[in-house]
Amino acid sequence: MMQFMTVFKREMLEAGRNFKWIWVPLVFILLGITDPISTYYMPQIIESVGGLPEGATFEIPTPPPHDVLMMSLAQYSQLGVLVVALMSMGLISGERKSGVAELVLVKPVKYSTYVTAKWGAVNVLVLVSFFAGMLASWYYVNLLFGDVSFIHLLWTWFFYGLWLLFVISISVFMNTLFKVPGLVGFLTILFVIITSIITNIFSHVLDWSPAKLSGYIRTMLSEGSIPADLWGTALVTIGISTALLIAAIYTFRTKEMA
Amino acid sequence: MSLLTVQDLKKSYDGKPVIQGIDFSINKGSCVALLGPNGAGKTTTLRMLSGLIRSSGGKISFEGMSDQSDIRFNIGYLPQHPVFHTWMSGKEFLIYVARLANMDKQIASKRADELLARVGIADAKNKRIGKYSGGMKQRLGIAQAMIHQPKLLMLDEPVSALDPIGRREVLTLMEELKQETTLLFSTHILNDAEEVSDELLLMHNGKIVEAGSLEGVRQKYRVDKLDVSFQEGFTPEEAKITALPTVLRMETNKGVHHIFVNDTNQARDEFLQLIYTEGWPLERFEVGRASLEDLFMKVVNP
Amino acid sequence: MTEVFETINWALVAPLLVIQLILQVVALIDWFRIEHTNGPKIMWLFIILLLNMIGPILYFVIGRRQD
Repeated sequence: MMQFMTVFKREMLEAGRNFKWIWVPLVFILLGITDPISTYYMPQIIESVGGLPEGATFEIPTPPPHDVLMMSLAQYSQLGVLVVALMSMGLISGERKSGVAELVLVKPVKYSTYVTAKWGAVNVLVLVSFFAGMLASWYYVNLLFGDVSFIHLLWTWFFYGLWLLFVISISVFMNTLFKVPGLVGFLTILFVIITSIITNIFSHVLDWSPAKLSGYIRTMLSEGSIPADLWGTALVTIGISTALLIAAIYTFRTKEMA
Repeated sequence: MSLLTVQDLKKSYDGKPVIQGIDFSINKGSCVALLGPNGAGKTTTLRMLSGLIRSSGGKISFEGMSDQSDIRFNIGYLPQHPVFHTWMSGKEFLIYVARLANMDKQIASKRADELLARVGIADAKNKRIGKYSGGMKQRLGIAQAMIHQPKLLMLDEPVSALDPIGRREVLTLMEELKQETTLLFSTHILNDAEEVSDELLLMHNGKIVEAGSLEGVRQKYRVDKLDVSFQEGFTPEEAKITALPTVLRMETNKGVHHIFVNDTNQARDEFLQLIYTEGWPLERFEVGRASLEDLFMKVVNP
Repeated sequence: MTEVFETINWALVAPLLVIQLILQVVALIDWFRIEHTNGPKIMWLFIILLLNMIGPILYFVIGRRQD
């Protein structure tokens, strides 16, 4: 536990010193509030730049509040995932490439501790940032479109947070497989895309694929209660993430740090 | 009393043997130089001993250690090109690695301060490592290797990347360290091995080709010869020298005459007599010892 | 265009601008302190300054060299 905290704290210190603790939350907030604001001003924007013929009226129905919240989520599933993948691509691979890992791993630190502490540190940063972003989005949605209950916001954060945790687990796994950060980032994104594609193709079978989390979250928001499938999907996501983490520890242990 | 014993240690990459079954042991309190040309397998050997890479066969046993326990507790290792987190300060980094070795926070901090003073970079302890010079980084590297009071300190080419000043500083430090701990360091520079170590492991093509005390190895590969040089511009008549009964042959290299003989004591008398009679302007005269360089060439290309 | 500016409630949009500004300032401070970037350092200065919003993010995600 002490070794875990040592690695974890060092990661936190680094994230503070290189401003990750500033820019990651800000980027997530930015992603969260862009859609509520732009959707709100959409009619005016279209009116002024769209060049509608004189007299033509153009009715854009105001979307229900939970749809706007889902727009923010869509931002996270694209740009958010991209940021997470790029931000974590050097987590372990970078240290191995530069050679710092050599100095760290000759100390009697457990490989499993080293990997999980790093995984934990990224998760804390990302999930806190994601919470800040969702909170900001929720604030704007409530202000401009109508009420979404806070409890639903918390559930949305929790369930979608699992998706981000899944992405981080993929990244950590790739980090132990390859020494080149760019390749790690690329493969992480590729893995996420393939997961989505496979889920789309075999949609009827893969009811609980992690890629379906956001679909079920939409159902939850519109119906007001948590669908059973969401729980199932959450469990599967946690399971796959754990498996990825264990696989990461295993490859890290067997792969020589040369 | 042997601290570390290595038996038939092997390493191959993709079926290609890099270390071909080496055996050696290191005595407690000794200072051993692992000497060999680049590519001999020195780094691979040290990395196997430090637990960074796995061996393909053989056994590494450490005094008082069971097979299950982590050898890394006993070993301090300085890689050839140590890389640090440049955004950390020297002290922060030392505390970090100390904590990884399960040291208590207060003890870690105290030990970090001691070591920083010990290796002579106490003034820079709160500076970012990114701002350190090469010599300072190397000394921080030695400090991090010693932080958990390992029984064996292993340094991989500790001075070869340094400028002459840094090199001198680190050699002096090693001279001091060998009083306190068992030291194993690799080098391809013969002078460094000669200067610091008491024992030699000579490595070539993944094998240990010679091992023993510095003196013993020297004796074994002793060459009976006289090294002489004369005042600049003077050339002795070679025929007169080779005519001496004990002299076998003579080689001249950059003004130094290497005279190979079959009995140094007798050859010395004969030769000095000759110089006296001829009145040659002798400048330097040395009997016998083969330099490590000679030895090395002899072992490596028999 | 002017109508749009008049109808926009600036209190709503202000946080966007503030975040952008903070990101830019933090990126600049970091750019100033860091020794090496991926690619020419001066290029990243222009990216941070000229590309709103995206510039500083690109800098942090891609331009900054981890060490």
